[in-house]
Amino acid sequence: MTDSAEMQAALEAVLFVASAPIPRSKLLEIFDEGERRAAGEALDVVVSRYGAEAAKGILVEEVAGGLRLVTRPELHGYLRKFFEVTGRTKLSMAALETLAIVAYRQPVTGPEVQEFRGVNSLGVLKTLLERRLVKIAGRKQVVGKPFLYRTTREFLMHFGLESLEDLPPLEEIEDVFGTSQTPLELETL
Amino acid sequence: MSSNAEQQGGLPESWRVQLPVFEGPLDLLLHLVRINEVEITDIPVAVICDQFYEYLQLMDELNLDIAADYIYEAAQLIHLKSKLLLPRPATAGGEEAEDPRQELVERLLEYQRIKEAAQSLGEIHSLRRGIWSRPSHPLELENDEPMIDLGDVSLHDLLGCLKNVLVRYDHEHPDPLHVSRETFTVRDQFQRLLEAVSPDRPFDLLADLRQRSCRAEIVAAFLAVLELAHLSLVRFHQTAGGEILVYRTARELQVHELEAIEG
Repeated sequence: MTDSAEMQAALEAVLFVASAPIPRSKLLEIFDEGERRAAGEALDVVVSRYGAEAAKGILVEEVAGGLRLVTRPELHGYLRKFFEVTGRTKLSMAALETLAIVAYRQPVTGPEVQEFRGVNSLGVLKTLLERRLVKIAGRKQVVGKPFLYRTTREFLMHFGLESLEDLPPLEEIEDVFGTSQTPLELETL
Repeated sequence: MSSNAEQQGGLPESWRVQLPVFEGPLDLLLHLVRINEVEITDIPVAVICDQFYEYLQLMDELNLDIAADYIYEAAQLIHLKSKLLLPRPATAGGEEAEDPRQELVERLLEYQRIKEAAQSLGEIHSLRRGIWSRPSHPLELENDEPMIDLGDVSLHDLLGCLKNVLVRYDHEHPDPLHVSRETFTVRDQFQRLLEAVSPDRPFDLLADLRQRSCRAEIVAAFLAVLELAHLSLVRFHQTAGGEILVYRTARELQVHELEAIEG
């Protein structure tokens, strides 16, 4: 029987080394089946030890359906200084609009994005693809077979979302013409 | 922006405008709806249409490029304006026909929602920009076979990979340096022409030059002709039609003369 202190230490170690969020259940698989309940409690201890309230340099974040260690946002300046990063690239308004359309209306094609924005958006989509915030998820079976775009796991991680259901709700404005709103198509990645 | 306006000599000082930056025609339309203090659902199309057009003119005066998207939207607005001027036919059931503005209204409402969502994403983005995590390249584990999670590999990644390989290949296998030799020499052309001309059969110089394969060969051949004339090995005759005919003279070529020609 592994004692709780060792479990906590082991969980901490795995989180420290992992490069992507690990789902809770997968994290607990490092222990025997009989010990999972105790391991779950040990994990809770670790999560609260590295919680937002704890004044540590790193914290455990629940994002994209898993757990990972990240730095505390306030420490940005020190990290930038040490790694000699002058500035992290901001997303332009055009990029944010396009990203919002893909996030809330996915899967969506390039021409559909253009229709929503009233502006040619292929260049912006390309930038978002390069930044891995959106991905190509097949083709729409219509004339021209345009690519369908979806947001990525990276998108969830970047915006600190557990799943797409965590997206801030779209402000629904009462439609005087009484037509029904397109229901949001949500899915968990 | 102001420096742009200053360049326009015709514009008085007081006209200097701060032109807001719009993300596109829909953004501009939303702005116009806001400054006119009207509801999106009850747009005075004629007024908005005129203001939209005025804005495009302003962009034009300031030498800003007007994107086609704006012109397209302007055309849509004018079309809508003209539709509203026509009497609406009553439908069979006597119900009021659909408001021609409905499509525009729906697009604007949707765009407004998207814009608000984009703004909240932007806020999250700037809040979270300070968060760092372990870089996402996986550890080099000492397993027999590296495991690749295909779920994380997109077509874009594969294309990016191919691009990297091709760039590296080009870098590691640079094209051999092609040193092009001087293919055409005056001496070669000299000898070719000397064999081609005869004392009694006309040789059409222009036709011959036209058959050369490239500019360099034409130049070499022309210089060779000059050499032939200089050594009195040929004589020329121009026809009324402008053709230049070359005939061989009786003079013999000396060996040292040939050697003196640029090889």
